[in-house]
Amino acid sequence: MRRPLVALSMLVLCGVGFAGEVTPVAGLVKRSAGEVTVERSGQLWAALVGTAVHVGDRVRTGDDGSVGITLADDTLLTAGPRSTLLISDFRFNPTTHEGSLMATLLKGTLSVVTGLIARQAPDNVRFRTPTVVLGVRGTEFIVEARGGGE
Amino acid sequence: MSRSAIVLCLVGSCLGACARLTDHVVLLPGQSGRVGSLAVATGSAEIVLSEAYSGVDVAGGQLKPVTTSAQMVREAYGRLLDMQPARPRVLVLHFEFGTNALTAESRALLPRVRSELLALPAGEAVVIGHTDRVGSADFNDRLSLQRAAVVRDLLVAAGVAREAISVVGRGERQPVVITADEVAEPRNRRVEIKLR
Repeated sequence: MRRPLVALSMLVLCGVGFAGEVTPVAGLVKRSAGEVTVERSGQLWAALVGTAVHVGDRVRTGDDGSVGITLADDTLLTAGPRSTLLISDFRFNPTTHEGSLMATLLKGTLSVVTGLIARQAPDNVRFRTPTVVLGVRGTEFIVEARGGGE
Repeated sequence: MSRSAIVLCLVGSCLGACARLTDHVVLLPGQSGRVGSLAVATGSAEIVLSEAYSGVDVAGGQLKPVTTSAQMVREAYGRLLDMQPARPRVLVLHFEFGTNALTAESRALLPRVRSELLALPAGEAVVIGHTDRVGSADFNDRLSLQRAAVVRDLLVAAGVAREAISVVGRGERQPVVITADEVAEPRNRRVEIKLR
């Protein structure tokens, strides 16, 4: 019993060690126009078409920027100019469709078409701005946050 | 008692009128015309939207229901909506009974997958296997994944980039036709190719 436990805890430690560098992929950038960046672990990347978006990433658009992202559960996230979107949490099991999604629009505009997680477990899908929390029931909507978050 | 109510009301309306608008939320109809619902909540209040183009303005932490229209949304957010990624598109493939061979009709769809995928920016093909309810759930998970892998190999042979393909086995979780357990149902034995 002891040995598997040790092995398991080492695995967990390794997992934590890697998690700081590479968090799970949540989706892919499908459309990108103007200035769009992804900030991950303090590093800044140009968010070109095909760029992977990871959990914890901050997606930012400039004055002329906009970006369309498809998450692994088919959720479509589209952010307009001067937006900051944080992918706070995303887990999705493609076999069972179980998972959770939390995204935070710190500022700007965001259009959302919800995906498979919202169909299976809508309570596990949340969108936030600095002021409000949005709970969804399989839906399409737009949210605009002018509160001026980071 | 009535005085304090009036004062509260004045304060309330001043907040509503004077405070800066911080958030605006609009519920849109889905593509099939079906409208979902959306709960907009602050720490203390909540409004549930269920009508297309209904919305909420938030100012000074106060929620205020508003009504918009398709035209208002188009004017304010048309460029945003034009940047939405493509909606996923699903092709359904069927097998010859009791085999791993696609029907002629389904085989004919494969070349289309390649061209449609190339037309999509950062295109992905998610190949999803399904079974009927004959056999255990675990067995059907494995079988559905095997069926998806067969289709992936056919797609690769048809010139689709392997990196663009992922395979999923949904087992017996998503029947087209609902049946009792252990009932053979050919329409449920299928593979979907989702292009996005």
